[in-house]
Amino acid sequence: MEYYHIPSSVEETLSIADNYSGNYTYFAGGTDIQIYRKQKLDTHDHIIDLSRLDELKSITVNKDHLHLGAMTTLDDIISSDIINSNYPLISEAAKSVATPVIRKTATIGGNLLVNNRCIFYNQSKEWRDSIGSCLKDKGDICQVTGGNKSCYARNVSDTATALVALESEIIFLTPSGSIQKPLTELYLPCGIKSNELDEHSILTGITIPIKAEKWWYRKLRLRKTLDFTSLTVAATVDSDRIARICLNGVSMSPVLIKEALKSLTLESLIKQARKNCKTVENDLMPLKYRREMINVYLKECWETLH
Amino acid sequence: MSGPIGKPTPYIDGVEKVRGQAMYTDDYKLPNMLYLTFLRSTESHAKIKSLDISSAKSYPGVVAVATGKDIPVSFGILPISPDETAMAVEKVRYNGEIVAAVAGKTVEAAQEAVKNIKVEYESITAFTDPHDSLEKCNLEEQIHPHTKDGKNIHKTAELRFNEPEKELETAKYKQTGFFKFAGVTHAFTEPHSTLAIWNGDKTLTVISATQVPHYLHKNLSKVLGLPLHKIQVQKPALGGGFGGKSDPFPHEMITAYMAMKTKQPVKCTFSREEVFITHHGRHPTEMSMSVSCDNSGKITALDTDIIIDGGAYGSFGVVTSYYNGVLLQGPYKIDKFGFRTRRAYTNKHQCGAMRGHGAVNPRYAVEVILDMLAQDLNMDPCDLRNKNFLPENSFTVGEFRITSNGVRDCLDTVRKKSDWDKRYGKLPYGRGLGIACGFFISGSALPIIWNRYPQTVVHAKLDFDGRIVMFSGASEIGQGSDTMLVQIAAEELGIALDYVQVEVADTKTTPVDLGSYSSRVTFMVGNAAKTASSNIRKEMAKAIGKEKNVSPDKLIFANSRIQTQDKSIDLSWEDGVEIAMAGRGAFVESGHYISPKLGGKYKGAGAGLSPSYSFGAFISEVTVNSDTGEVNVEKIWAAHDCGKALNPLAVEGQIEGSIHMGIGQALTEEMRYKNGQQMNPNFFDYRIPSSVDTPDMDISIIESNDPEGPYGAKEAGEGPIHPVLPSIGNAVYDAVGIRMMELPMTPDKVLSKLKEMS
Amino acid sequence: MKSKITKLSINGFEHIVLVNPDETLVFTLRERLNFTGTKKCCDEGTCGSCTILVDGIPVLGCLTPTVRCVGKTIITIEGISSKEDLHPVQKYLVKNGGLQCGFCTPGVVMTAIPFLDEHPNANREKIKEGLSGNLCRCTGYKKIIDAVENAGKELKV
Repeated sequence: MEYYHIPSSVEETLSIADNYSGNYTYFAGGTDIQIYRKQKLDTHDHIIDLSRLDELKSITVNKDHLHLGAMTTLDDIISSDIINSNYPLISEAAKSVATPVIRKTATIGGNLLVNNRCIFYNQSKEWRDSIGSCLKDKGDICQVTGGNKSCYARNVSDTATALVALESEIIFLTPSGSIQKPLTELYLPCGIKSNELDEHSILTGITIPIKAEKWWYRKLRLRKTLDFTSLTVAATVDSDRIARICLNGVSMSPVLIKEALKSLTLESLIKQARKNCKTVENDLMPLKYRREMINVYLKECWETLH
Repeated sequence: MSGPIGKPTPYIDGVEKVRGQAMYTDDYKLPNMLYLTFLRSTESHAKIKSLDISSAKSYPGVVAVATGKDIPVSFGILPISPDETAMAVEKVRYNGEIVAAVAGKTVEAAQEAVKNIKVEYESITAFTDPHDSLEKCNLEEQIHPHTKDGKNIHKTAELRFNEPEKELETAKYKQTGFFKFAGVTHAFTEPHSTLAIWNGDKTLTVISATQVPHYLHKNLSKVLGLPLHKIQVQKPALGGGFGGKSDPFPHEMITAYMAMKTKQPVKCTFSREEVFITHHGRHPTEMSMSVSCDNSGKITALDTDIIIDGGAYGSFGVVTSYYNGVLLQGPYKIDKFGFRTRRAYTNKHQCGAMRGHGAVNPRYAVEVILDMLAQDLNMDPCDLRNKNFLPENSFTVGEFRITSNGVRDCLDTVRKKSDWDKRYGKLPYGRGLGIACGFFISGSALPIIWNRYPQTVVHAKLDFDGRIVMFSGASEIGQGSDTMLVQIAAEELGIALDYVQVEVADTKTTPVDLGSYSSRVTFMVGNAAKTASSNIRKEMAKAIGKEKNVSPDKLIFANSRIQTQDKSIDLSWEDGVEIAMAGRGAFVESGHYISPKLGGKYKGAGAGLSPSYSFGAFISEVTVNSDTGEVNVEKIWAAHDCGKALNPLAVEGQIEGSIHMGIGQALTEEMRYKNGQQMNPNFFDYRIPSSVDTPDMDISIIESNDPEGPYGAKEAGEGPIHPVLPSIGNAVYDAVGIRMMELPMTPDKVLSKLKEMS
Repeated sequence: MKSKITKLSINGFEHIVLVNPDETLVFTLRERLNFTGTKKCCDEGTCGSCTILVDGIPVLGCLTPTVRCVGKTIITIEGISSKEDLHPVQKYLVKNGGLQCGFCTPGVVMTAIPFLDEHPNANREKIKEGLSGNLCRCTGYKKIIDAVENAGKELKV
């Protein structure tokens, strides 16, 4: 009996996924999920390794749309001339993820689907056992809020922040065919189940429809490398003067604010952001500071976009 | 000097390390070797009500299980506070403390078996805040039975000279600061690892990642009840210590015990999280400090009250308590001087010695306060410091003997190189310069355990092959001590470096050295190595002189030859060796080092005594983003007086490494706890600076030529960390006008200070 | 999960080894095959000490599933060192003092070599960035960067 599966086509992948539905984990690059395996946060019996799905490794442009195969590595993105000259926001975001060596393995699909994080959850089994398990793990109480309903684990995908601000769509394959929809609709405002991809489907690619005329990106972290984000903001203005500002790392899913640039005031931008971000004390950077930084980042961002 | 002393010399173990061939403890594998894993406490403070190991014992692949009761003898690095046992006996005192151990044929078997151990705890109030621990404890909640009633106070260290408090009461220029420092940890790269072997002749060999083979040797003997002559401790290649491997550890005791019990080799290697749990790092510290000066800027008094949070056990804590105070006696002359340090036991990971031991936090405080006083006096902070330096060949108020002192040179050098006079106080808002000085011991003049032996002995052996082998107990931990031994022998004997090899850090074959701590190795082992190798030279000269009918002192040892000035005698090294060994064969010469008798007669006079002291002055340039509070160190100019750089490459490396570590503590590193549990036991969240977080560095080595150091050398491994933190703190003030009184100065703290000000 | 007989090509030789599906390359190399040159420092992708080349690409041994490497070419630090002379990166790390305790060093070598292949004209800043995933606690990085810079210059000649 095989436990580690390395399919060589998307169809084969789906059939394996179907076989072991509920009991498998996808490894794209695997650089993040591997740690979940070691910490016994992921205990599925089967691993489906997507690293040989060469058909999902591509950077192409057609009809003005940029298309990224889900298994394209972050390093491929950073070194792509097409992206660097036409979509610098995407390479900027990719560059801010992890470290140079990790980016050679980590994929764009994997980063979009990176698990939500919380300081009480991303710990070893022994560590978690000694405080009692949390909602996102196997317990029935949130260690941050003391509540028993909601988990506020943060979405920490830096590339998602950029791609949402670029109005990207994702393509996924299900047994009944290919489906395309806005990336924003992939994410659920829930720390536990943070996306709606089901057990029988696979993310195959991302389509980026717009080129930003202006853009802004920044990631809040203590070191200039390795750290997961404490707040990421990406913003664009397109040729129709529509502004898209996306915040991540401060809520369970990326928060998008989309509005015509001329009607967008800084006050309303901040107000919408603060209202939509469910930020709690679940990062080592203090909550108060991260909230203050939302204002600071949005101000600078707003000034750049105008 | 004609030989390699003073020349940049690549490490002799460099090639092995760069090829991945150097053997670190975990790289050893032996036939029938067992793997050790631990059950660790999930409580911070609790009685062990019951402990059932029966199903772990019978788990497939398990060979032995042990608990605290099997080896209950207490131990510790300091003979005055042996308060720790190999595993918890009856109660646990911190989250992560070892409760039981399993030796299995595979790692997996041992790990699985651990899960089958059943333990029941009865919680006791956990004291995680040092104030609560000192004040709010009932007798039955005391962490250790040996502390005074209802107080978890491990040590109060207090010294006072010439009533500083009186001077401070009336002083016109006076500043008081309240400082708070988070705990930080060594974060060496090689996790703790120990391999123990029970030999056929009923002796024990312990191979361990330790900075102190000798103290491990002694503590193993005590805990295991095995005579000293049946224990051999070896330190193989070691991946960084910084004080974090300078205690005898529980896992070392347990691994050795398991090898004795099972008669099989047993190895234990920690996960990164276990390294964080084991800790022994810098104490979280709170400090109130007052300093006064007269209107010329001369310091008139210093007084400070300090609480250090020791965690659950003693470790080096008594020494740390003293060092927090006594090492403020330099580099400035302060005649009215006092301090009190209280070390609290708390239910957290224990703290101990870390690079710059005890003196890093108070150094931050005093240097920041001096900056404040300079401000009050409208005086350049460099000038104020210049007025106060201790002279050479003087004594401090507590009777530390100052010999060589290059601090003025250090200050002048960085002042000039950084263009301080033109730029300090004149840079645009958001950019600033800061100065700070440093002072540290070159080895402790007193051994940890009192005895009548020298502090180190080195043997140099010459044999028919012409090779010199230096036998020394000194522990190479990356600082370059093996290379130093080779350089010294080559210098003394006038031979190429490759004639010299080392046998080191093996308590069976090498003479005792106390270990790599307190920056003692270059000074003490260097002196002993110099004597041992010059004794070889004398013996050779005597024999050659006799055979060639020339006075031994006419013989010059240089360029791997032995000659007279006029070359009437001109021998190759090998020919010289043959003559020297005729009729006697291989021989060994010995050298040793004993510190001179130093210090005052008062109680506590021994703390901080050293045969020599290092000095330094650093200037940092920072930028501060006033919107986000982010501090970026742009450049550091560092000048350190190490007496004489035996190996400038190694000295620079020590200074550069100190800058890295100092920046970490100043800006990003912090042991974060919640209810006694560490929130960041990994390198994601315990943030040691990476290459892109480390600034440009301009290193100057200042050579004051110490009269007693080998070739004039003194320490360079710890002193250079002291000025780093306060030079950054003072630069932040120059940049944006705020005094950071709390470390690390993370952006949130900087921002809230900025807001407070506006 | 059951172990599986797995064929791995390491430093030009085939090794047949029993591998657990959940195990990572650093474990297989060190514990099963005794390639102890690759160091395990954090085991969670934060330090770069276990960097290995798989099909010429640097990967972290602690995050790479061993089974993924079947049919690929694995080069460890031992593979670099089997050549008679040191690689310029190794040579300058020794010469310039780019190592102290040496524990992060194999990972630095295995990162810097493919980095210089890919960026032969890298300047100091770029080298710093390229090595930003290799934590070193001893050197303050300065002499590591010096060494890689010097190796880069020599390789271009």
